[in-house]
Amino acid sequence: MNELVIQTRDLNKKYAGRYAVRHLNLEIARGEIYGFLGPNGAGKTTTIRMLLGLIRPTMGSIHIFGKDLKKEKMNILRKIGSLVEYPSNYGHLTAIQNLEAVRRILDVPKSRIDEVLDIVSLTKEAKRPVKGYSLGMKQRLGIATALLGHPELLILDEPTNGLDPEGIHEIRELIRSMPKQHGITVLVSSHLLSEVEQMAGTVGIIREGEMVFQDTISNLQQQASSGFHLVVSEPQEALQLVRGQGYAGQLENGGLKLDQLSDPEVALLVKRLVDNNHAIYRVEEKRRTLEDIFMQVIEQGGFQ
Amino acid sequence: MVLRALSADLLKLRRRGVWFLVLLGSLGLVALQALNFGLRYDYLVRHLYKEDAWGGLIGEIVDFVPIALVLGVTLIASQIANVEHLNNSWKQLLALPISRAAVFTSKYLVGVIALTVACVLLFAGTIGLGLAFGFGAEHIPYLKILKLAFFPFLGALPMLALQLYLSLTFKNQALPIMIGITAAIATIFAGNYPDFLPLAWPFLAYYAKPAVPVASGIVLFIIIYLLGTGHFARKDVD
Repeated sequence: MNELVIQTRDLNKKYAGRYAVRHLNLEIARGEIYGFLGPNGAGKTTTIRMLLGLIRPTMGSIHIFGKDLKKEKMNILRKIGSLVEYPSNYGHLTAIQNLEAVRRILDVPKSRIDEVLDIVSLTKEAKRPVKGYSLGMKQRLGIATALLGHPELLILDEPTNGLDPEGIHEIRELIRSMPKQHGITVLVSSHLLSEVEQMAGTVGIIREGEMVFQDTISNLQQQASSGFHLVVSEPQEALQLVRGQGYAGQLENGGLKLDQLSDPEVALLVKRLVDNNHAIYRVEEKRRTLEDIFMQVIEQGGFQ
Repeated sequence: MVLRALSADLLKLRRRGVWFLVLLGSLGLVALQALNFGLRYDYLVRHLYKEDAWGGLIGEIVDFVPIALVLGVTLIASQIANVEHLNNSWKQLLALPISRAAVFTSKYLVGVIALTVACVLLFAGTIGLGLAFGFGAEHIPYLKILKLAFFPFLGALPMLALQLYLSLTFKNQALPIMIGITAAIATIFAGNYPDFLPLAWPFLAYYAKPAVPVASGIVLFIIIYLLGTGHFARKDVD
C-alpha cells in the first residue's frame, strides 16, 4: 500500500443536533485520483471543508501528509490546492489579477501565473474581467488558482457541476493528467458516478454522512455482474442439464437465464452442454451498470 | 504574512469604490465649503470671520466631519468585506496557507489606510481652499487643521472597528449599513450626548479636550479588533 496522503479517523460533524458527517474514515493514497461520491447533501462538501480547515470537526482526527491538521494547518495547506463548489473568483478582476491576488499570499514567482494559465488553456482570455467568463472558464480559472502554489494534493469539490459536456470533458482530461504530469494526488467529489469512474482509481461512496463503500473502481465493477444469458439450440433440454449440474436457472426469451457464475463454472457448464450436442449461439454476461450499483449502494447503504 | 494579505487586498479592491468613497468624503467636504464661501464670500470673509478667516473655514468644516466619517466608515467597511462575500471567495481565501488573524488584520488595515488617506486629503484640501480664497499663506494654522483632519477620525475608530466586524461577519450587508447610517445621522446631535458614548467621540475629539476621546477611541478600536479576530479565527466558513 502506498503512503496515505489523507487519513481521517472517526470524523464527525454535527450541525444543530444532526450529524452531517459521521464516523468517516477516509483513506487516500499518494498519486491516485480518489472519487468521492454521494448524492447531494450526503456530506461531501462538509467533509471537504473539514479537510481544508474551513470548519472544525465535532469529533475525530484528520491527518494530511501524515501531519495532524489541527497542529500543522499552515504547513499542510501550503501543499494543497482547492476548489470548493461553485467558483469563487473576483468577478471585477481579470484572470491574471485574480491569480495575482492569490499569488501575493502564496508568495510564488510571478512566472507561475503564466504556467497555470497555460495548463488550463486560459492564456488567450487572461486579460478579460472574469465576470464575462462562461462557467467552464471560471472553473478552469479555479483549477489554475488551485495549482498556483505547486500543490501535492488537489481537492476539487464538484468541479464539473453545471458544465456542458465539452466543459466536463475538458475538466476531466485536466484532472486525469494531474498525477501523471504533475505528480499530484487528487480528491474529486461528485454526485455522478459516470463522471468519476472515467478518471478515479479508488472511490469512496458516502450516504447520509457515512461511508458505505471505499475500494478500487475495479472492485466496484466486479460487483456489476448479475448473471448470464445463454442462447442455445434446445433450451428446454439444456435447462434440465444445467439443473442436473446443480445450478439454478430458468427459461427466458427462448434462452437460459443463469445466476452469477465464476469463470471456471462458466467454462465447465459450456463444456457439458457442448458434450451433450447442444449448439451454443451466445453466452452473454448480464452486467448492471455502475450507475445501478451506485444507486443500490446509496439506497441500501452497502452491498446486499 | 499580514503584508502579503494586505497587498492582495489592495489589488482586489481596485474599482470597488473604496477609493472613490475616500475622494468623495474628503474632497466633498472641501467642495461644500468652496460653495459655501464662494456664494457667501462677502458675508463670511469680510464680515463674520473678519478677524480669523482660517478659523472660520475650519469651524464651517468641522460640523460635517463626524457624519462624513461615520458614513464613510460604514460604506468603506462594507466594500472591504463585500468583495469576498459577493464572490463567495472566503472559502478560497481561508483555504490558503495564511492565518485567519492575518486575513482579518489586513481588512482592518485597509480600513485604517483608506480613512487615513481621506484625512490627509481633507488636510490638504482645507489648506488648498483657504489659499484659493486668499486667506494668506503666512498664517496657516497647521496644527488646528491637523486636529480637524485627524482627531475626529481617531474618535471614530471604534465605529470603524464595529462596522468592519459587522460587515465581515454578516454576508447580508443590509444590517451593518443600516446601523452605520443610523449612527451617522445620530452624530448630528453628538453635542448633546454624554461623553462616555463612543458616538460623541468624533465630535468631542475636536471640541473638547481631545486626549480623552482620542485615547478612548484608539483603545476601544483595539478591543473590538481583538474580540473580532478571536471570533473570526474560530468560526466555521460556509
